[in-house]
Amino acid sequence: MAYAIGAACIDIKDKTCMDVCPVECIYEGGRKLYINPVECIDCGVCVPTCPVEAIRPLEEFDGGDIEFATDNATFFSEALPGHEYPLGNPGGVSRTGTIGVDTTLVSGYHPR
Amino acid sequence: MSDVQNHDVDILIVGAGPSGLYAGYYAGFRGLKIAIADMLELPGGQITALYPEKKIFDVAGFPEVLGRDLVDRLVAQVEPFAPIWILGQRIEGLERSGERWSVQLSGGGRVTTTVVVITGGIGTFEPRALPVGREYEERGLIYYVPKPTELAGKNVVIVGGGDSAFDWAMALEPIANELTLVHRRETFRAHEHTIELVQNSRTKIITSAEVTAIYGEEQLTSVEVTLKSGSVEVIDAEVVVAALGFVAHLGPLAEWGLEMSKRTIIVDTAMRTNLPGVFAAGDITEYPGKVRLISVGFGEAAIAVNNAMTVIDPSKSVFPGHSSENT
Repeated sequence: MAYAIGAACIDIKDKTCMDVCPVECIYEGGRKLYINPVECIDCGVCVPTCPVEAIRPLEEFDGGDIEFATDNATFFSEALPGHEYPLGNPGGVSRTGTIGVDTTLVSGYHPR
Repeated sequence: MSDVQNHDVDILIVGAGPSGLYAGYYAGFRGLKIAIADMLELPGGQITALYPEKKIFDVAGFPEVLGRDLVDRLVAQVEPFAPIWILGQRIEGLERSGERWSVQLSGGGRVTTTVVVITGGIGTFEPRALPVGREYEERGLIYYVPKPTELAGKNVVIVGGGDSAFDWAMALEPIANELTLVHRRETFRAHEHTIELVQNSRTKIITSAEVTAIYGEEQLTSVEVTLKSGSVEVIDAEVVVAALGFVAHLGPLAEWGLEMSKRTIIVDTAMRTNLPGVFAAGDITEYPGKVRLISVGFGEAAIAVNNAMTVIDPSKSVFPGHSSENT
Protein backbone atom coordinates (compact mmCIF):
# COMPACT_ATOMS: atom_id res chain seq x y z
CA MET A 1 0.00 0.00 0.00
CA ALA A 2 2.50 2.63 1.23
CA TYR A 3 2.02 6.29 1.92
CA ALA A 4 2.91 9.24 -0.26
CA ILE A 5 3.59 12.93 0.30
CA GLY A 6 1.39 15.39 -1.57
CA ALA A 7 1.77 18.90 -2.93
CA ALA A 8 1.20 20.51 0.48
CA CYS A 9 4.80 19.70 1.39
CA ILE A 10 6.30 21.80 -1.41
CA ASP A 11 8.41 24.66 0.02
CA ILE A 12 7.39 23.63 3.57
CA LYS A 13 9.61 20.59 4.28
CA ASP A 14 8.91 20.47 8.01
CA LYS A 15 10.82 17.16 8.22
CA THR A 16 9.27 15.95 11.48
CA CYS A 17 8.15 12.92 9.47
CA MET A 18 11.80 12.15 8.77
CA ASP A 19 12.50 12.20 12.51
CA VAL A 20 9.89 9.57 13.26
CA CYS A 21 10.11 7.21 10.27
CA PRO A 22 11.41 3.93 11.72
CA VAL A 23 12.90 2.79 8.42
CA GLU A 24 14.22 6.20 7.33
CA CYS A 25 12.41 5.94 4.02
CA ILE A 26 11.52 9.64 3.71
CA TYR A 27 14.05 11.46 1.55
CA GLU A 28 14.69 15.16 1.14
CA GLY A 29 14.51 16.75 -2.29
CA GLY A 30 15.12 20.44 -2.99
CA ARG A 31 11.60 21.72 -2.29
CA LYS A 32 9.74 18.66 -1.04
CA LEU A 33 10.07 15.36 0.79
CA TYR A 34 9.42 11.99 -0.86
CA ILE A 35 8.49 8.57 0.55
CA ASN A 36 10.17 5.56 -1.01
CA PRO A 37 7.21 3.23 -1.64
CA VAL A 38 9.39 0.11 -1.67
CA GLU A 39 11.06 0.85 1.65
CA CYS A 40 7.89 2.16 3.38
CA ILE A 41 6.47 -0.44 5.77
CA ASP A 42 3.01 1.17 6.04
CA CYS A 43 3.29 1.84 9.77
CA GLY A 44 1.62 5.25 9.41
CA VAL A 45 3.64 6.88 12.20
CA CYS A 46 4.55 9.83 9.96
CA VAL A 47 0.96 10.74 9.07
CA PRO A 48 -0.07 12.70 12.19
CA THR A 49 3.31 14.43 12.49
CA CYS A 50 2.87 16.45 9.29
CA PRO A 51 1.81 20.03 10.13
CA VAL A 52 0.30 20.52 6.65
CA GLU A 53 -1.31 17.07 6.39
CA ALA A 54 0.61 16.25 3.24
CA ILE A 55 1.02 12.53 3.98
CA ARG A 56 -1.78 10.17 2.98
CA PRO A 57 -2.21 6.53 1.93
CA LEU A 58 -1.82 6.14 -1.82
CA GLU A 59 -5.49 5.35 -2.42
CA GLU A 60 -6.53 8.63 -0.82
CA PHE A 61 -4.83 10.64 -3.55
CA ASP A 62 -7.98 11.07 -5.56
CA GLY A 63 -8.34 14.82 -5.63
CA GLY A 64 -6.38 17.65 -7.16
CA ASP A 65 -2.98 16.12 -6.53
CA ILE A 66 -3.52 12.56 -7.73
CA GLU A 67 -0.31 12.67 -9.74
CA PHE A 68 1.65 12.87 -6.48
CA ALA A 69 0.70 9.30 -5.65
CA THR A 70 3.02 8.10 -8.39
CA ASP A 71 5.44 11.02 -8.22
CA ASN A 72 6.89 9.78 -4.91
CA ALA A 73 7.84 6.56 -6.70
CA THR A 74 9.17 8.47 -9.72
CA PHE A 75 11.63 10.30 -7.45
CA PHE A 76 13.36 6.95 -6.92
CA SER A 77 12.72 5.10 -10.17
CA GLU A 78 13.87 7.75 -12.66
CA ALA A 79 17.19 9.58 -12.77
CA LEU A 80 16.79 13.03 -11.19
CA PRO A 81 18.25 16.20 -12.72
CA GLY A 82 22.02 16.07 -12.40
CA HIS A 83 21.95 12.35 -11.54
CA GLU A 84 23.18 9.74 -14.00
CA TYR A 85 21.19 6.89 -12.40
CA PRO A 86 17.92 6.59 -10.49
CA LEU A 87 18.23 6.59 -6.68
CA GLY A 88 16.55 3.20 -6.46
CA ASN A 89 16.08 1.94 -2.90
CA PRO A 90 19.04 3.36 -0.97
CA GLY A 91 18.11 1.69 2.33
CA GLY A 92 17.68 4.79 4.48
CA VAL A 93 18.19 8.53 4.35
CA SER A 94 21.19 8.29 6.67
CA ARG A 95 22.99 6.67 3.74
CA THR A 96 22.13 9.35 1.18
CA GLY A 97 21.83 12.65 3.02
CA THR A 98 19.86 15.43 1.34
CA ILE A 99 19.20 14.72 -2.34
CA GLY A 100 18.58 18.42 -3.04
CA VAL A 101 16.76 18.14 -6.37
CA ASP A 102 13.16 17.39 -7.30
CA THR A 103 11.04 15.56 -9.83
CA THR A 104 9.86 17.44 -12.92
CA LEU A 105 6.36 17.59 -11.44
CA VAL A 106 7.53 19.35 -8.28
CA SER A 107 10.00 21.65 -10.04
CA GLY A 108 7.11 22.84 -12.22
CA TYR A 109 5.23 24.24 -9.21
CA HIS A 110 5.43 27.98 -8.60
CA PRO A 111 7.41 28.84 -5.46
CA ARG A 112 5.14 29.58 -2.51
CA MET B 1 18.20 -7.27 31.91
CA SER B 2 20.88 -8.94 29.79
CA ASP B 3 21.92 -12.32 31.10
CA VAL B 4 24.67 -14.65 29.95
CA GLN B 5 22.83 -17.75 31.10
CA ASN B 6 22.12 -20.68 28.81
CA HIS B 7 18.55 -21.89 28.48
CA ASP B 8 16.93 -25.10 27.32
CA VAL B 9 13.33 -24.69 26.21
CA ASP B 10 10.66 -26.23 23.99
CA ILE B 11 9.91 -23.05 22.10
CA LEU B 12 11.82 -19.86 21.50
CA ILE B 13 9.77 -16.87 20.39
CA VAL B 14 11.86 -14.28 18.57
CA GLY B 15 10.19 -10.91 18.97
CA ALA B 16 8.08 -9.72 21.93
CA GLY B 17 5.53 -7.70 19.99
CA PRO B 18 1.80 -8.49 20.09
CA SER B 19 2.13 -11.61 17.91
CA GLY B 20 5.08 -12.90 19.93
CA LEU B 21 3.39 -12.30 23.28
CA TYR B 22 0.24 -14.04 22.08
CA ALA B 23 2.34 -16.92 20.73
CA GLY B 24 3.77 -17.08 24.26
CA TYR B 25 0.29 -17.41 25.68
CA TYR B 26 -0.58 -20.28 23.34
CA ALA B 27 2.72 -22.02 24.04
CA GLY B 28 1.94 -21.76 27.74
CA PHE B 29 -1.56 -23.08 27.19
CA ARG B 30 0.00 -26.11 25.46
CA GLY B 31 2.24 -26.68 28.48
CA LEU B 32 5.49 -25.77 26.76
CA LYS B 33 8.64 -24.35 28.28
CA ILE B 34 8.99 -20.92 26.72
CA ALA B 35 11.63 -18.29 26.09
CA ILE B 36 10.72 -14.91 24.58
CA ALA B 37 13.52 -12.79 23.17
CA ASP B 38 13.56 -9.21 21.94
CA MET B 39 16.12 -6.58 21.11
CA LEU B 40 14.07 -3.96 22.98
CA GLU B 41 14.44 -3.76 26.75
CA LEU B 42 10.65 -3.82 27.10
CA PRO B 43 7.98 -6.09 25.63
CA GLY B 44 5.50 -4.76 23.10
CA GLY B 45 7.54 -4.47 19.92
CA GLN B 46 6.24 -1.94 17.42
CA ILE B 47 3.53 -0.70 19.82
CA THR B 48 6.05 0.08 22.55
CA ALA B 49 8.59 1.57 20.17
CA LEU B 50 6.32 3.59 17.92
CA TYR B 51 2.90 4.25 19.40
CA PRO B 52 2.38 3.36 23.05
CA GLU B 53 -0.12 6.23 23.39
CA LYS B 54 -2.06 5.49 20.22
CA LYS B 55 -5.53 4.03 20.47
CA ILE B 56 -6.04 0.76 18.63
CA PHE B 57 -9.54 0.03 17.35
CA ASP B 58 -9.24 -3.34 15.59
CA VAL B 59 -8.52 -5.81 18.37
CA ALA B 60 -11.46 -8.21 18.62
CA GLY B 61 -13.53 -7.56 21.72
CA PHE B 62 -11.88 -4.21 22.47
CA PRO B 63 -13.75 -1.35 20.80
CA GLU B 64 -10.75 0.78 21.71
CA VAL B 65 -7.56 0.04 23.60
CA LEU B 66 -4.48 2.16 24.27
CA GLY B 67 -1.29 0.64 22.80
CA ARG B 68 0.48 0.35 26.13
CA ASP B 69 -2.61 -1.15 27.80
CA LEU B 70 -2.84 -3.84 25.11
CA VAL B 71 0.82 -4.70 25.72
CA ASP B 72 0.25 -4.87 29.50
CA ARG B 73 -2.68 -7.23 28.98
CA LEU B 74 -0.77 -9.46 26.58
CA VAL B 75 2.08 -9.67 29.09
CA ALA B 76 -0.42 -10.49 31.85
CA GLN B 77 -1.84 -13.23 29.63
CA VAL B 78 1.52 -14.97 29.13
CA GLU B 79 3.05 -14.27 32.55
CA PRO B 80 1.28 -17.15 34.41
CA PHE B 81 3.20 -19.57 32.18
CA ALA B 82 6.51 -18.16 33.46
CA PRO B 83 8.29 -17.53 30.17
CA ILE B 84 12.01 -16.84 30.29
CA TRP B 85 12.37 -13.21 29.17
CA ILE B 86 15.50 -12.50 27.16
CA LEU B 87 15.18 -8.77 26.59
CA GLY B 88 17.70 -6.26 25.31
CA GLN B 89 19.52 -8.95 23.39
CA ARG B 90 19.87 -9.70 19.73
CA ILE B 91 19.61 -13.22 18.31
CA GLU B 92 22.91 -13.50 16.50
CA GLY B 93 22.76 -16.94 14.95
CA LEU B 94 20.52 -19.95 14.43
CA GLU B 95 22.25 -23.32 14.09
CA ARG B 96 20.87 -26.82 13.76
CA SER B 97 21.94 -29.03 16.64
CA GLY B 98 20.74 -32.58 15.97
CA GLU B 99 16.95 -32.35 15.77
CA ARG B 100 16.91 -29.11 17.71
CA TRP B 101 18.12 -25.52 17.30
CA SER B 102 20.93 -23.75 19.06
CA VAL B 103 20.59 -20.00 19.19
CA GLN B 104 23.39 -17.57 19.95
CA LEU B 105 22.46 -14.47 21.95
CA SER B 106 24.33 -11.16 21.69
CA GLY B 107 24.89 -11.20 25.47
CA GLY B 108 26.98 -14.39 25.13
CA GLY B 109 24.37 -16.92 26.25
CA ARG B 110 22.75 -19.66 24.21
CA VAL B 111 19.23 -21.01 23.92
CA THR B 112 18.70 -24.61 22.93
CA THR B 113 15.17 -25.12 21.68
CA THR B 114 13.05 -27.61 19.79
CA VAL B 115 11.13 -25.04 17.78
CA VAL B 116 11.54 -21.39 16.94
CA VAL B 117 8.66 -19.02 16.19
CA ILE B 118 9.85 -15.81 14.54
CA THR B 119 7.55 -12.90 15.32
CA GLY B 120 10.04 -10.28 14.25
CA GLY B 121 7.60 -7.75 12.78
CA ILE B 122 9.39 -5.13 10.77
CA GLY B 123 12.75 -5.97 12.32
CA THR B 124 14.64 -5.12 15.46
CA PHE B 125 14.16 -1.66 16.88
CA GLU B 126 17.24 0.18 17.95
CA PRO B 127 17.24 3.63 19.48
CA ARG B 128 18.10 6.30 16.92
CA ALA B 129 21.57 7.56 17.75
CA LEU B 130 22.55 11.17 18.30
CA PRO B 131 24.74 12.43 15.47
CA VAL B 132 27.53 13.03 18.00
CA GLY B 133 28.88 11.48 21.18
CA ARG B 134 28.27 7.76 20.66
CA GLU B 135 31.57 7.11 22.48
CA TYR B 136 29.82 8.17 25.71
CA GLU B 137 27.29 5.32 25.56
CA GLU B 138 27.15 3.74 29.03
CA ARG B 139 29.27 6.62 30.35
CA GLY B 140 26.41 9.05 30.67
CA LEU B 141 24.69 8.77 27.28
CA ILE B 142 21.59 6.59 27.60
CA TYR B 143 18.54 5.77 25.46
CA TYR B 144 16.08 4.56 28.09
CA VAL B 145 15.21 5.62 31.62
CA PRO B 146 13.89 2.42 33.18
CA LYS B 147 14.62 3.64 36.73
CA PRO B 148 14.34 7.42 37.00
CA THR B 149 15.39 7.35 40.69
CA GLU B 150 18.91 6.38 39.60
CA LEU B 151 19.24 9.84 38.08
CA ALA B 152 18.20 11.69 41.25
CA GLY B 153 20.33 14.74 41.98
CA LYS B 154 22.03 14.72 38.57
CA ASN B 155 22.13 17.30 35.81
CA VAL B 156 20.22 15.70 32.98
CA VAL B 157 19.72 16.74 29.35
CA ILE B 158 16.92 15.02 27.44
CA VAL B 159 17.09 15.23 23.65
CA GLY B 160 13.87 14.78 21.66
CA GLY B 161 10.34 16.07 21.29
CA GLY B 162 8.13 12.98 21.39
CA ASP B 163 6.25 11.04 24.07
CA SER B 164 9.33 9.33 25.53
CA ALA B 165 11.18 12.63 25.92
CA PHE B 166 8.22 14.20 27.72
CA ASP B 167 7.38 11.13 29.83
CA TRP B 168 10.95 11.03 31.07
CA ALA B 169 10.99 14.78 31.66
CA MET B 170 7.91 14.30 33.85
CA ALA B 171 9.56 11.47 35.76
CA LEU B 172 12.88 13.29 36.24
CA GLU B 173 11.63 16.82 36.90
CA PRO B 174 10.93 16.23 40.62
CA ILE B 175 14.26 14.46 41.31
CA ALA B 176 16.96 15.67 38.91
CA ASN B 177 19.20 18.58 39.85
CA GLU B 178 18.90 20.58 36.64
CA LEU B 179 16.79 19.25 33.81
CA THR B 180 17.03 20.52 30.22
CA LEU B 181 15.05 19.36 27.21
CA VAL B 182 16.57 20.01 23.79
CA HIS B 183 14.50 19.58 20.62
CA ARG B 184 15.40 20.15 16.97
CA ARG B 185 12.08 21.65 16.01
CA GLU B 186 9.79 24.36 17.32
CA THR B 187 6.82 22.04 17.91
CA PHE B 188 6.56 18.85 19.93
CA ARG B 189 4.93 15.51 19.10
CA ALA B 190 3.93 14.41 22.60
CA HIS B 191 0.62 14.28 24.42
CA GLU B 192 -0.63 17.87 24.71
CA HIS B 193 -1.32 17.67 28.42
CA THR B 194 2.16 16.30 29.16
CA ILE B 195 3.77 19.05 27.08
CA GLU B 196 1.86 21.64 29.08
CA LEU B 197 2.91 20.12 32.40
CA VAL B 198 6.57 20.06 31.40
CA GLN B 199 6.40 23.61 30.01
CA ASN B 200 5.00 24.80 33.33
CA SER B 201 7.63 22.93 35.35
CA ARG B 202 11.18 24.01 36.17
CA THR B 203 12.45 22.08 33.13
CA LYS B 204 14.49 24.31 30.84
CA ILE B 205 13.26 23.83 27.28
CA ILE B 206 15.45 24.73 24.29
CA THR B 207 13.81 24.39 20.87
CA SER B 208 15.17 24.67 17.32
CA ALA B 209 18.46 23.42 18.69
CA GLU B 210 20.68 20.41 18.22
CA VAL B 211 23.28 18.72 20.36
CA THR B 212 26.49 19.33 18.42
CA ALA B 213 29.07 17.94 20.83
CA ILE B 214 29.34 15.93 24.01
CA TYR B 215 32.29 16.52 26.32
CA GLY B 216 33.72 14.56 29.19
CA GLU B 217 36.58 12.44 30.41
CA GLU B 218 35.78 9.12 32.08
CA GLN B 219 32.16 10.20 32.30
CA LEU B 220 30.15 12.69 30.34
CA THR B 221 30.36 16.20 31.83
CA SER B 222 28.74 18.64 29.42
CA VAL B 223 26.79 19.07 26.22
CA GLU B 224 27.16 21.65 23.49
CA VAL B 225 23.86 22.83 22.08
CA THR B 226 23.72 24.88 18.87
CA LEU B 227 20.60 26.89 18.13
CA LYS B 228 19.28 27.47 14.61
CA SER B 229 20.23 31.11 15.10
CA GLY B 230 23.85 29.95 15.32
CA SER B 231 24.41 30.72 19.00
CA VAL B 232 26.06 28.03 21.07
CA GLU B 233 25.42 27.05 24.66
CA VAL B 234 27.34 24.57 26.80
CA ILE B 235 25.26 22.85 29.49
CA ASP B 236 26.69 20.91 32.43
CA ALA B 237 25.31 17.39 32.37
CA GLU B 238 26.19 14.03 33.83
CA VAL B 239 23.48 12.27 31.88
CA VAL B 240 22.16 12.73 28.35
CA VAL B 241 18.97 10.88 27.49
CA ALA B 242 18.66 10.53 23.71
CA ALA B 243 14.93 10.03 23.12
CA LEU B 244 14.94 10.25 19.34
CA GLY B 245 12.73 7.28 18.58
CA PHE B 246 13.70 4.03 16.98
CA VAL B 247 15.01 2.73 13.71
CA ALA B 248 14.07 -0.76 12.53
CA HIS B 249 16.63 -3.06 10.99
CA LEU B 250 15.98 -6.56 9.78
CA GLY B 251 19.14 -7.62 11.61
CA PRO B 252 20.91 -10.97 11.37
CA LEU B 253 17.69 -12.82 10.51
CA ALA B 254 18.40 -12.32 6.81
CA GLU B 255 21.45 -14.60 7.18
CA TRP B 256 19.67 -17.59 8.71
CA GLY B 257 18.85 -19.33 5.45
CA LEU B 258 15.15 -18.48 5.57
CA GLU B 259 13.27 -18.14 2.33
CA MET B 260 12.48 -14.44 2.22
CA SER B 261 10.84 -11.82 0.05
CA LYS B 262 12.20 -8.33 0.74
CA ARG B 263 11.80 -7.91 4.52
CA THR B 264 9.36 -10.77 4.98
CA ILE B 265 9.55 -14.54 5.56
CA ILE B 266 7.66 -16.91 3.25
CA VAL B 267 5.40 -19.29 5.20
CA ASP B 268 2.86 -22.00 4.32
CA THR B 269 -0.66 -22.32 5.73
CA ALA B 270 0.73 -23.81 8.97
CA MET B 271 3.09 -20.82 9.35
CA ARG B 272 6.06 -23.12 8.63
CA THR B 273 9.14 -21.53 7.09
CA ASN B 274 11.52 -23.47 4.83
CA LEU B 275 13.62 -24.46 7.89
CA PRO B 276 12.49 -27.51 9.92
CA GLY B 277 10.93 -26.55 13.25
CA VAL B 278 11.10 -22.84 12.45
CA PHE B 279 7.75 -21.05 12.22
CA ALA B 280 6.86 -17.41 11.77
CA ALA B 281 3.84 -15.25 12.60
CA GLY B 282 2.72 -11.63 12.48
CA ASP B 283 3.86 -8.77 10.29
CA ILE B 284 7.01 -10.59 9.20
CA THR B 285 5.22 -13.38 7.30
CA GLU B 286 4.29 -13.38 3.65
CA TYR B 287 1.91 -15.59 1.67
CA PRO B 288 -0.77 -14.96 -0.95
CA GLY B 289 -3.54 -12.87 0.59
CA LYS B 290 -1.48 -11.65 3.56
CA VAL B 291 -2.94 -8.73 5.53
CA ARG B 292 -0.59 -6.98 7.97
CA LEU B 293 -2.72 -6.30 11.06
CA ILE B 294 -2.47 -7.11 14.75
CA SER B 295 -5.60 -9.26 14.56
CA VAL B 296 -4.09 -11.34 11.77
CA GLY B 297 -0.87 -11.67 13.77
CA PHE B 298 -2.81 -13.11 16.71
CA GLY B 299 -4.39 -15.72 14.46
CA GLU B 300 -1.07 -16.61 12.87
CA ALA B 301 0.54 -16.92 16.31
CA ALA B 302 -2.11 -19.48 17.29
CA ILE B 303 -1.61 -21.39 14.02
CA ALA B 304 2.19 -21.35 14.36
CA VAL B 305 2.32 -22.50 17.99
CA ASN B 306 -0.31 -25.23 17.66
CA ASN B 307 1.38 -26.62 14.58
CA ALA B 308 4.75 -26.34 16.32
CA MET B 309 3.26 -28.49 19.09
CA THR B 310 3.23 -31.50 16.77
CA VAL B 311 6.94 -30.99 16.04
CA ILE B 312 7.74 -30.91 19.75
CA ASP B 313 5.52 -33.91 20.54
CA PRO B 314 4.22 -35.83 17.50
CA SER B 315 1.65 -37.62 19.69
CA LYS B 316 -0.15 -34.30 20.28
CA SER B 317 -2.80 -32.94 17.97
CA VAL B 318 -2.69 -29.57 16.31
CA PHE B 319 -5.98 -28.59 17.90
CA PRO B 320 -5.35 -27.37 21.44
CA GLY B 321 -8.86 -27.84 22.80
CA HIS B 322 -10.83 -24.83 23.93
CA SER B 323 -9.26 -22.53 26.50
CA SER B 324 -12.67 -22.18 28.18
CA GLU B 325 -12.52 -25.88 29.16
CA ASN B 326 -9.47 -25.30 31.35
CA THR B 327 -10.92 -23.55 34.34
